[in-house]
Amino acid sequence: MIQKKICMVGSFGVGKTSLVARYVKSIFSDKYFTTLGVKIDKKSLSVEGEEVNLMLWDLAGEDALTQIKPMQLRGASGYILVSDGCRVSTLDAAIDLQSRVEAELGSLPFTCVVNKVDLRDNWEVDDAALDRLRTLGWSFLLTSAKSGVGVEALFQSLAERMVREKKIDAR
Amino acid sequence: MPLIRHGLADSLEAAEAEERLRQLRALLIGPEVEQIAALQRRLDDPRLRSEDLSASIAEAIAIRSRQDRKLQSALQPLIEEALRISVARDPAMLATSLFPIIGEAVRKAVAHALQGMFDSLNLVLDRGLSFESWRWRLEAWRTGRSFGEVALTHSLSYRVEQVFLIHRETGLLLGHLAFTTGILENADLVSGMLTAVQDFVRDSFGRMKTEDLEVMEVGEFKLWLQHGPLVLLAAVVSGQPPPELRQVFEREVEAIHRDFGPALQAFDGDSSAFEATHANLQRCLLGGQRARLRRSYKAVWTVALLLLLAVAALAAVRIRDNRRWTRYVDRLRSEPGIVVIGEQRHWLSYAVTGLRDPLAVDPRLLLAGSKLTERRVVERWEPYQSLDPKFEGMRKLDLEKAALERQVLHFDLNLAQLPMSQFNVLETVEDEITSLRQIADANGLQLRIEIFGHTDRTGKEDRNAQLSQARAGTISTALIQRGIPSSMLTVSGVSDRSPQHAAIETYPQELDRRVTFKVVLLQNPSSPGAPR
Ligand SMILES: Nc1nc2c(ncn2[C@@H]2O[C@H](COP(=O)(O)OP(=O)(O)OP(=O)(O)O)[C@@H](O)[C@H]2O)c(=O)[nH]1
Ligand SMILES: [Mg+2]
Repeated sequence: MIQKKICMVGSFGVGKTSLVARYVKSIFSDKYFTTLGVKIDKKSLSVEGEEVNLMLWDLAGEDALTQIKPMQLRGASGYILVSDGCRVSTLDAAIDLQSRVEAELGSLPFTCVVNKVDLRDNWEVDDAALDRLRTLGWSFLLTSAKSGVGVEALFQSLAERMVREKKIDAR
Repeated sequence: MPLIRHGLADSLEAAEAEERLRQLRALLIGPEVEQIAALQRRLDDPRLRSEDLSASIAEAIAIRSRQDRKLQSALQPLIEEALRISVARDPAMLATSLFPIIGEAVRKAVAHALQGMFDSLNLVLDRGLSFESWRWRLEAWRTGRSFGEVALTHSLSYRVEQVFLIHRETGLLLGHLAFTTGILENADLVSGMLTAVQDFVRDSFGRMKTEDLEVMEVGEFKLWLQHGPLVLLAAVVSGQPPPELRQVFEREVEAIHRDFGPALQAFDGDSSAFEATHANLQRCLLGGQRARLRRSYKAVWTVALLLLLAVAALAAVRIRDNRRWTRYVDRLRSEPGIVVIGEQRHWLSYAVTGLRDPLAVDPRLLLAGSKLTERRVVERWEPYQSLDPKFEGMRKLDLEKAALERQVLHFDLNLAQLPMSQFNVLETVEDEITSLRQIADANGLQLRIEIFGHTDRTGKEDRNAQLSQARAGTISTALIQRGIPSSMLTVSGVSDRSPQHAAIETYPQELDRRVTFKVVLLQNPSSPGAPR
């Protein structure tokens, strides 16, 4: 059996915990309980006929006072940068955060997520901002923990990339 | 206003103007002046000042203490001094206010200390005194392993319920083994969380503290963590694990690093390479078949039981000895010639005092038959003469025996015939032998009489031997003729080897030419209990 550690990173309140809850337990809640420290969940999925166990480390979101602890990132095989489409600042923060995580972990598969797509009418993030992500060459997804849009694809595609990465390594 | 410069009218006008100006001023700024005066008064009057201050002091303190800690520092010596004075004046006051919390605090501290003591005591008892520990010692001796090792595999005082082998860097689970067959479903989650907790601890308690978390209490379980550079071994233990357990974990973690070092470094989530660590984990699953989750006082009970058994054994021995003693004393009482006056039973010995006829049976002989240990029996006997008929006969026998052994038959020089003058002595001898026979018969004894022939110290040696033999033979023949059975008599010639008065150098030689007797009483095989 293969196990992989994935870290959920991003600013506070962008929906990291909600995405994990949607993916692992298929539930969603409007209530906001900020994550303290780290919350760990797991989910098994199959990649190319092989069972993979994802250990999902949902880290506390960054704000003015809290910074991501490098210790908690260690050993990850991939990560998900989450931002909130309703606050463009969280996308800027995600771009900044990515360079810090890469400095810590090296170049690893990751996916950038702009969340809360169900509230697209209220988004601050516009097409120009999304174009910026394209120019960075990032793979990104628009998701909603509330409706479930893009969530399954997010984890599945990242897991596939992580496994493929490993196979390339092995060659 | 226009100014007029000259003349009285001028000066009058000036005074008037002055007055008007004054009025105007009073009109314009009169209230302010009064206010200033009032302010002046307030500043000068300390009582009023205090009143003012009292309105804002609480607020002021609150504001200041939010700004910095200068106020606290300034107040500290004051408060300390005030407290000191207060305690000096009335210690009871502080005591009363502290009393409710002190009691609680002391109780907690004491309970904590006691529990710790009791735990360690129980552990020592458990190990040192339990029956099992001796069996383990034996097993250790047989198998050549250390006692600690053997104890670890058997001890019932704890059990390793589960072991987790965790990859340190990723927090991913490499292996998991549980004592019970039901493997924890979320072992991999536990593994991740443990790692997160480690990180948290390291983070919260500073980086300089390199020490890792080693023990956590989780409900009724203890979580023992053994850190290696690449893996973390976490063991869930119930009961009271002994310190040696730590060494087992250490050893296995080292072995895992040795055998799987490169694989651990290259680990990318594929745990199949670590299936072989199963054996290492299996060796960590130590402890008893039934872990005692609650603190058990079995050891204490075992000791009590052993003590009880020992006491019971002692009591049994004591009861047996008492019975033997009673039988022995009864035997003594029933013995003729022995009067038991008193007997005592002490802790470790027995004592008996009484009267004993010298002719009575020797109590030590009876004691040997009683199975009592001779050392433990103290006896004190006063001699006395028993009026028991048996002893009357015996005493008479003694008298008769002594009388016969005093008899001497004298002979003439170089002759073996009994001179006429001695015939009456022979008569007496015959009577005495007859009487001895009767008493001996009555007491179940066999009578033997040895007849010794003697010569004086003159004459040749072989002649003397022959002569002494002949003299004894003469008397024997004479006695047989008078009806004494020959089987009762033995004859020996002793020449001059046994003179009458060995101690005296010179005395009449004829005294040595003689025949003497010795009486031997033999136990009749059919009659019991008689002396000698
Ligand atoms: N409408 C909508 N609300 C969302 C969505 N995702 C999250 N939320 C809400 O956003 C709030 C914050 O969500 P969380 O998942 O707790 O955010 P987080 O990133 O874990 O926050 P921290 O743990 O504080 O860093 C909650 O009230 C959620 O209900 C979404 O896709 N759509
Ligand atoms: Mg959260």
